[in-house]
Amino acid sequence: MYKYDAIDQTLVDQRVAQFRDQVARRINGTLAEEEFRPLRLQNGLYHQRHAYMLRVAIPYGLLSAKQLRTLALIAEKYDRGYGHFTTRQNIQFNWIELEQTPDILAELAKVEMHAIQTSGNCIRNITSDAFAGVAGDEYIDPRPVCELLRQWSTLHPEFAHLPRKFKFAINGAKEDRTVLLCHDVGIELKKNAQGELVADIYAGGGMGRTPILGQLIKLDLSWQVLPSYLTALLRVYNRFGRRDNLYKARIKILVKALGPEEFARQVEGEWAHIKNSDDNFTQAEWDRVAKHFTKPAYQQLSALSEQQIVAGAPETERSAFTRWLERNVKPHQIPGYASVILSLKPHGTVAPGDATVAQMNAIADLSEQYSFGELRITHEQNLVLADVEQSQLLELWQAAKQQHVALPNIGLLTDIIACPGGDFCSLANAKSLPIAKAIQERFDNLDYLFDLGDISLNISGCINSCGHHHVGNIGVLGVDKDGEEWYQITLGGEQGNDAAIGKVIGPSFYADEIPDVITNIINTYTEQRADEESFIDAYRRIGVTPFKEAAYKDAKKKDRAESATS
Amino acid sequence: MNKHIIRFPKDGQASLVANEWQVWDGESDEGAPLNTPQLKDELNKILVPFHWWITHHQNADIIERVEKGEIGVWFATDDDILKHADIIEAGKAQWPLVAAHFPIFRDGRSFSTAALLRDRFSWQGEVRAIGDVLIDQLLQGARVGFDTFELRPDQDLNVGLKQFELFTVTTQNSWRGKRTLLEV
Repeated sequence: MYKYDAIDQTLVDQRVAQFRDQVARRINGTLAEEEFRPLRLQNGLYHQRHAYMLRVAIPYGLLSAKQLRTLALIAEKYDRGYGHFTTRQNIQFNWIELEQTPDILAELAKVEMHAIQTSGNCIRNITSDAFAGVAGDEYIDPRPVCELLRQWSTLHPEFAHLPRKFKFAINGAKEDRTVLLCHDVGIELKKNAQGELVADIYAGGGMGRTPILGQLIKLDLSWQVLPSYLTALLRVYNRFGRRDNLYKARIKILVKALGPEEFARQVEGEWAHIKNSDDNFTQAEWDRVAKHFTKPAYQQLSALSEQQIVAGAPETERSAFTRWLERNVKPHQIPGYASVILSLKPHGTVAPGDATVAQMNAIADLSEQYSFGELRITHEQNLVLADVEQSQLLELWQAAKQQHVALPNIGLLTDIIACPGGDFCSLANAKSLPIAKAIQERFDNLDYLFDLGDISLNISGCINSCGHHHVGNIGVLGVDKDGEEWYQITLGGEQGNDAAIGKVIGPSFYADEIPDVITNIINTYTEQRADEESFIDAYRRIGVTPFKEAAYKDAKKKDRAESATS
Repeated sequence: MNKHIIRFPKDGQASLVANEWQVWDGESDEGAPLNTPQLKDELNKILVPFHWWITHHQNADIIERVEKGEIGVWFATDDDILKHADIIEAGKAQWPLVAAHFPIFRDGRSFSTAALLRDRFSWQGEVRAIGDVLIDQLLQGARVGFDTFELRPDQDLNVGLKQFELFTVTTQNSWRGKRTLLEV
């Protein structure tokens, strides 16, 4: 993975010093809270319901064992013993003291980490495929471009106060694992006919109050000119994005208002003046970065069949191990290797995406033992050991079980994406975590979950949609009605290549109704499905009506919920 | 207005200098002869709103004052400077300086205005940041193209002066210089 050189290290160290001074001015009262707010947000520091929350960047989801141990140390020393991995390849600490944040940032800087631009109205942490560089379906390893753009966007002066937050996702594989079309800018990397690395640019995607999928605005852009093109794009947005209404300030509203063709034309017009500037990346810059993303020292191995892998397991454990192989182990580019997803979604015991200090330290050890000391963060809030020898899968599975991160529920109903919700977040209208817990407890039967197969259930505690409910096959959104917490259900959302925004099925439900509602929706699926048809395919075939009728089949509760449409 | 401004030339040191330019909002000229802005504190150099300039710059008294180097313009956040390229090109010979306004510190439109003035119009003269200009915007402003700053009066100018030295490296080009990697 990428290693800082003197430039990167100096920048991060100086950023810590800058923030230390800003915090000192806040504490001595010379910097007012209202004016400190954007400054702390640009360094990932939120003020939440109970305390400050610090969001630390894990750029494009890549983490070393050493870095994970530092995250564990921060959780232990400055927080309450755990961290929360987010849907955008960050980790959040929920119980932070303002006075200590400069010291935490200094700890992070020692291991080449930071919290720069993890919040605020600026270019946010750049996200990518958790399986970058190892995925079997990859066209292009996106990591060099991710790192080049991470550097380019870091402390970019012109785009420090955009109308609203601005998120990049970068994908280089056949299957999109980045929710590309729900980003302000999605960069799809590929090779052109001459074998050169080029990018297709999608703009104006986003979730939130007005979910919209990104539109293709540029084809076949050379990687070298990404900085000038993105400058043009961001300049158009910075100048003309709405600033009069917080809810209409994202680039998606501008792209929608102008139309993608007109937006693309304006970007093109701006770009024409700067496309040949020395803002563009040079080959030397590529080489400086790309040399860190070479393949690790793989052994020459033969690919093992599932039968061979399972053969080593004791008879009594074979079926459980096979399940884990089926759900949590993914194919790899190199024969004899596989990628392993460690589930941070135990049923009902902790919040989705949470890891304790002990788990983080143990997982750091596992990464060193089995996967070249590196890890990945998925946007579904799980951890990945990307380079595991197939012959060591059994051993790893047994070790992972000890840490309670071996539940074979990846991609299943209980692999719930959830934001921290009203338990922590001051923006939330309703709690997310108890809903996730109730659903996981209701569906705590692996046989049944396996029978249901691939299905995504995402929960957001408010319309900001941090829990990606719009793209869940089943989405749950917390809404506030006269001070009470209600939950709206959407169906038909999908991430990936067939990305779709889910449709609201009707009036909201009380929290305690949600497990029954989900059960009724799931039962409709199991009754109606044809053969191996997945939930989303069944939904697309039969439409929303049968699901909706099932969800509201308890008429009495329906009456109660009618008053809470939102 | 702030009696002092921070001046940070492209190839020089940041320092405090006396503020000679009064910013006029374009609203208070009712009754004044020939729409001449009212002046305060006996300052005779004035920054007029760009939209006001467009409609008034051919007035005889304005022409006279332009010749004396007493009139500059300031751009509001909603002025589309690219739509008035001819006026800005002509202004190069007329205005000793231009300014861009921050209605609130977190409105970043004027960063792009300054960048365009430098990149697109090759504006060589002074570009001043005015309005809700705070200490923690100085560095960004200096990099996009501003070289003088009239800070909000409550800001500590001495803390402001230190802002320009916080970083010795950069990872993208700016008006002040190329990214560190290209300079090494």
